[in-house]
Amino acid sequence: METVIKQSGKTQVFKDKANKIMGISLEDAKLTKSYLSVAFLAILLGGILGLLQGLNRAGMLELPAWLNYYQVLTAHGLLLVVVLSAFFTIGYFYAGLSHTLGGLLPKVRKMAWVGFWMKIFGFVLAVIPILMNEASVMYTFYPPMAASPIFYIGLVFIVLGVWMCAFGAFINVASWRKRNPGQHIPILSFFATGVFVLLFFGSIPVAIEVFTIIPWAFGWVETINVMVARTLFWAFGHTLVNIWYLTAVSAWYVIVPKVIGGRRWNDLLTRIVVIALVIMNITGGFHHQIIDPGISEPVKYMHVFMSLAIGFPSLMTAYAMFAVFERTARRKGGKGIVGWYKKLPWGDVRFLAPFIAMAAFIPAGAGGIAQTTNQLNQVVHNTMWVVGHFHLTLGMSVVMTFFGLSYWLIPYVSKRVLTPQINKLGVIQTIIWTLGMIIMSGAMHWVGLLGSPRRTSYSTYFDNATALSWDPYLFFLAIGGTLLMIGVLMQVYAVFYLMFFAPKGNTEFPIAEVEEDEAPTPRWTERWGLWVVCMIVLVGMAYVIPLVDFIVNAPPGSPPFKTW
Amino acid sequence: MKSPVYGLLLLLALMLPPISNLLESIMITHMHMQMPLLVVSGLFMAKFFQNRFPEFFSKWNENGVPGLLLFSIIMMYWSLPRTMDEALTLTSVEVFKFISLPFLAGVPLRDSWPKLNSFWKHALIIFFTILFLALGWLYIWSPVQLCNNYLVIEQITLGWGFISTAFAMVVYLIYSYFMDFSKYE
Ligand code: HEM
Ligand SMILES: [Cu+2]
Repeated sequence: METVIKQSGKTQVFKDKANKIMGISLEDAKLTKSYLSVAFLAILLGGILGLLQGLNRAGMLELPAWLNYYQVLTAHGLLLVVVLSAFFTIGYFYAGLSHTLGGLLPKVRKMAWVGFWMKIFGFVLAVIPILMNEASVMYTFYPPMAASPIFYIGLVFIVLGVWMCAFGAFINVASWRKRNPGQHIPILSFFATGVFVLLFFGSIPVAIEVFTIIPWAFGWVETINVMVARTLFWAFGHTLVNIWYLTAVSAWYVIVPKVIGGRRWNDLLTRIVVIALVIMNITGGFHHQIIDPGISEPVKYMHVFMSLAIGFPSLMTAYAMFAVFERTARRKGGKGIVGWYKKLPWGDVRFLAPFIAMAAFIPAGAGGIAQTTNQLNQVVHNTMWVVGHFHLTLGMSVVMTFFGLSYWLIPYVSKRVLTPQINKLGVIQTIIWTLGMIIMSGAMHWVGLLGSPRRTSYSTYFDNATALSWDPYLFFLAIGGTLLMIGVLMQVYAVFYLMFFAPKGNTEFPIAEVEEDEAPTPRWTERWGLWVVCMIVLVGMAYVIPLVDFIVNAPPGSPPFKTW
Repeated sequence: MKSPVYGLLLLLALMLPPISNLLESIMITHMHMQMPLLVVSGLFMAKFFQNRFPEFFSKWNENGVPGLLLFSIIMMYWSLPRTMDEALTLTSVEVFKFISLPFLAGVPLRDSWPKLNSFWKHALIIFFTILFLALGWLYIWSPVQLCNNYLVIEQITLGWGFISTAFAMVVYLIYSYFMDFSKYE
């Protein structure tokens, strides 16, 4: 068998000491602070736009002609799925890299800054046409709807900026490995490596898509192959969703056990979950195209299987988390079959928020498994159900984990401490957000089953009886949305208070240790090149058959349409 | 010693008519799914033969190169359009496929791999990369239908399957060229 390596060596010990005494270097802290500030400003803006949408859908607010529903929706999607998630993920993992690898290399820090400004520049370019009502194509921007070319050029810069950060992370990890031969990449950096591998490979398809769209949007070529473009988009879109999920999962495995005073789950199994998610992810994209024409039944069937396969590491995660909770609570004297839960720190927002986030993943994951099944997808496709689903997965599981992280990560990078008042604010915020999301996403799921379409501004369809029956649910949607807006305001206040005004002090970066009697992790887990090759092979298996079919048997392409 | 049993079960499963019919009904699953799985079943079963006939392997496959050659010849044989066609029409060729891929490709590969030095390992991967690129080129740009049993569109799909597999191998080669594992150990 393979030889195994010790978990920690001298460098580790030295670095831990250095980190404890000095904390994060000011330059690395500034980088993460900037990324997190943008993330939370995005949630503020995105939240306001979300509320506008919710009120409009309930028939309570008519949007003015200069800012119509679809402009708002495009901006809401872009701000929250692209800006919030990308900036938080990068800010968090760069702090993690800095902490666990003994600081960022100067070169890498520079790359992250270049990436930062490229993304901001790209985002500004993309927003201008949205505001001018030249790009109401939603964040999915599929052809045949065509936006102003400026919009797509903005997207190119965002992708390039993300690549800068991905390569920065690879360089830092590689250099650490060279300096620490024979050691495992620290677990949080291992997660970061997985996330950046996915970010890079997942955004290659969308880069190809955008490069075929740009000449078409300029009118240099007349038509575009719609099926190819949609397929390339979802290879990316689906991966992106799972990148945030993996980011949240990293916190569940590594941070939360420390916050509750326990140890983390088995190191080998944790790394296997990361590897499995990285290898199997991209191919899940097809479950967004179950209703698309032009994909043969056997191919769709194969993809149902590939999608469900991703459920497996998720189930492992669920098991692992509850095992860690129970073990920790029992060590603290918890008793009984379920009575041990009393020993968990419910009043600590750093635990409560990610805990609820995890719990939300149970219904969210179940809904996802339902949707990915051919027949059930026919019922809910493009209805509000789907919007309810991703507000559960993203708006709760991922975003609430991010919120929970912010209560120590921001004090950590600004060399301040979490005060009891802000902790209390955080607990209340968590409860409000939970209620708001349950109400809003519950209403969305239900009204979706009754047929209310997504991405459609308020309409009674000439007072059609079915459409009128949606109104009570849409009203609940607006109530949930209002609660969420309150939650957004509290959260953003907490973030900037912790960043600039909280009392100075030292906050620890909480990383749980493994159990003492755990067997050392085998070295094969470090073979990232091999995992990437497996991923490419799997992507080939999933995409070669349908893509060849789309291209060889292509119908005449589509000219650009402006439907708004 | 469970792995030979799993290998045998896999082989038997692949031989079941519904499964073999399904995999053979599509050109790319025939060549890129069924055939590799047959080889994999042989990889699993190899231990049984190694334990049973240790002298045979040490005598005939001392440095691993003969096994490698046998593996390569069998694999090349089954990459030809004509052999795939015959497997579908002649029962004897179909039987040969189910015997040759596990026992003449899978078993020798498993026996050879640990004996080979990195030169031969890389040589094998490079050889198959070039072979796959060539086959990809053949299947994609061939002006005629190469198999009686499969349509041109399936042939093109298979060609791209070869190209994407070759791409994965190129990535691996680049990775192992730049990564000096001894530096990390
Ligand atoms: C204040 C909190 C929020 C409210 C009130 C809200 C409300 C809404 C509403 C009403 C829709 C439009 C449904 C439609 O017509 O199809 C929507 C769409 C969407 N929301 Fe939210 N949302 C909020 C927070 C979030 C968060 C935190 C995320 C993700 C991190 C998110 C991601 C999305 C996405 C991706 C869409 C789909 C856009 C599209 O279909 O193009 N939202 N939201
Ligand atoms: Cu998906």
